[in-house]
Amino acid sequence: MKQMQRFCQNWHRALALFWLTSVVVAALLATSTVLVPDLLHTASPPFLSPHWLGTDPQGFDVAYALLQGARTILYVSIPAAALTLLLGGALGSAAGYWSNTGLRVARSWWIASGLLVAGCIGLATQLYAAFLVTSGSLLTGCGLIGWLLHQSTWGRRPWAFPIDALIAGLIVLLDSIPLLVLVLVVAAIQQPSAGGLVLLMTLTCWTTPARLMRAATLRTRELAHVEAARAAGLSDWQVLRRHIWPLTWPVVMLRLPLTIALLIGLETTLSFLGVGLPPETPSWGRLLAGIRQSPAAWWLILWPGAALVLTTLSLHQLSRKKQ
Amino acid sequence: MKARTAWRYLGRPIVAAWLVVSILFLLTRAVSNNTSFIQATLEADSRLQLAEREQLTQQLLHRSGLDRPLFYVSFHPITGWQWQGIHNQYHAWASRLLHADLGLSYRSQNPVSELLVEALRYTLPLTVLAALLSLGLGLGVATGLHLTSPPRRTAVLTALQALQAAPLFLIATGLLLLFANPDFLDWFPSFGLGTEEETTAWWQLPGRQLYYLALPVFSLVLVSTPPLIIQLDGALQQELQQLYVVTARAKGASQRQVIWRHALRNAFLPTLTLLSELLPNLVAGAVVVEVLFALPGMGRLLAEAAATQDHPVLLGGVVLIVVTRVVAQLLADGAYRLADPRIRL
Repeated sequence: MKQMQRFCQNWHRALALFWLTSVVVAALLATSTVLVPDLLHTASPPFLSPHWLGTDPQGFDVAYALLQGARTILYVSIPAAALTLLLGGALGSAAGYWSNTGLRVARSWWIASGLLVAGCIGLATQLYAAFLVTSGSLLTGCGLIGWLLHQSTWGRRPWAFPIDALIAGLIVLLDSIPLLVLVLVVAAIQQPSAGGLVLLMTLTCWTTPARLMRAATLRTRELAHVEAARAAGLSDWQVLRRHIWPLTWPVVMLRLPLTIALLIGLETTLSFLGVGLPPETPSWGRLLAGIRQSPAAWWLILWPGAALVLTTLSLHQLSRKKQ
Repeated sequence: MKARTAWRYLGRPIVAAWLVVSILFLLTRAVSNNTSFIQATLEADSRLQLAEREQLTQQLLHRSGLDRPLFYVSFHPITGWQWQGIHNQYHAWASRLLHADLGLSYRSQNPVSELLVEALRYTLPLTVLAALLSLGLGLGVATGLHLTSPPRRTAVLTALQALQAAPLFLIATGLLLLFANPDFLDWFPSFGLGTEEETTAWWQLPGRQLYYLALPVFSLVLVSTPPLIIQLDGALQQELQQLYVVTARAKGASQRQVIWRHALRNAFLPTLTLLSELLPNLVAGAVVVEVLFALPGMGRLLAEAAATQDHPVLLGGVVLIVVTRVVAQLLADGAYRLADPRIRL
């Protein structure tokens, strides 16, 4: 029975991997040129040559649009997911490792950086006029002040940087609107390009990985080997890199397929609503939106819908723990 | 300690909500071209001369307060920073918002609050019905799963996980194609609310509305219930292994009694967080469903405002959703306390 279960699981994994690989291969094979619509066969049903999967109301081939939609997934959803996890992981581990009191910076540097910011604001016109000279003199001036203050005992005393509270505040800020509405509004203010959409998704979706990473880091920080590493005098960076990340990294990696699935869902929903990517970018969601023009065209739902569900299911399958 | 908890549960969400709405306001005003919406109406009128048009644009800008500076301070590369006083767009907008005045729509020149109230008349039945149904269905199925045989439970859970993989718009279009298709099963209407027909008597209206809302509500329920069931089922599974359950069984309680009387209350705690997100998420989900089923509700209002860059309407909708979210969170915190007296605020 156990063996049977394991076989089943491996089989599922293999199937999921096979499907995802074929999506990636399809995306790489698809040409980026826009095909001319076949105006003689608009909204033609599938299984007829030359369009084996049918055409949409504009006369575009569905099979071709599916391939190009896979390309959009590869170039938009996956980079966005990777960036989301990187940002969320970094912020979450910083918040968990230092919490509110751990990140101590000497008063001298606090004052120097405060002066730098104040100088940038106060001398903004000069910065516009002569950027190099003003910024150079600002940097050297503030550096000098910081260095001088650092010579005194008062200046060397640390002030804590409340990084945990800061990141928690940011998370509360972003979570106060449902994701879809936030992205919808920002995308409406200015129609984003593909790169802009990746950035927008990254900046709005990082909260969940950050929360997970913060919890994992909080747990790991208390372990004995981290204590030992700190006692041995390793720097914060080394403790994080050598002793904490190897243990917390799997949390984020396990999250990767789920994040990709989430972002594919978000991107296709936006394209379906006609908001996200520019109209000429093919997407499975945009293909599905064709159903609104010809409600009887079941093939416009079946193929992209099946592709979408299979991809999401495969990604979910991958994120299950290996037995 | 008291002030801290008040800040954490009341202050922080409100400040966050205010900040989000303010940032979105400043973004909409700063990034977009103010004159574009006036230009479109003026250019339609070809009788106007160029000079007249300029003047008219200025007048219209002045009337809607768009010729003022955007924020308390402004920056210009040559003149530097300048204090603008309280006669700026942000101040005017914020003070009107505090009086619950959301401004006028760019497109139709109607008050935004009127448009929102009108839209809520359609969205509230949709979302509230969907929320109640998913809650009931979630409770029923999750407890029912522990009363049936294990293989059946695994089968249902697998099916639910598969259902979770489909995004809302796919489920909704699928339902539309299956049940509102003249070629297949023409059971339900595919769009509208059926209120435009005058012949229906007043006592027929609720039933008629239910008939028209069936597919939209069902698609929302199909999306929001699986996560609820999966989470509640996992929590129940964990609770049923606790010692107090053994005690309850030893006293002679049936499985049904053990679940409903003893385990469910404890298992429900982690699900409360999910529930507090249910209503705002349903409002967001209503965007997709209302666009697809052509219901004149909040979601469609938002989507249309997004497509036509009608920023006051868009911001008004966001304000409403943010407020719903904050209220739902407060209610969830209160419910936590009711459900588990060990939690102290």
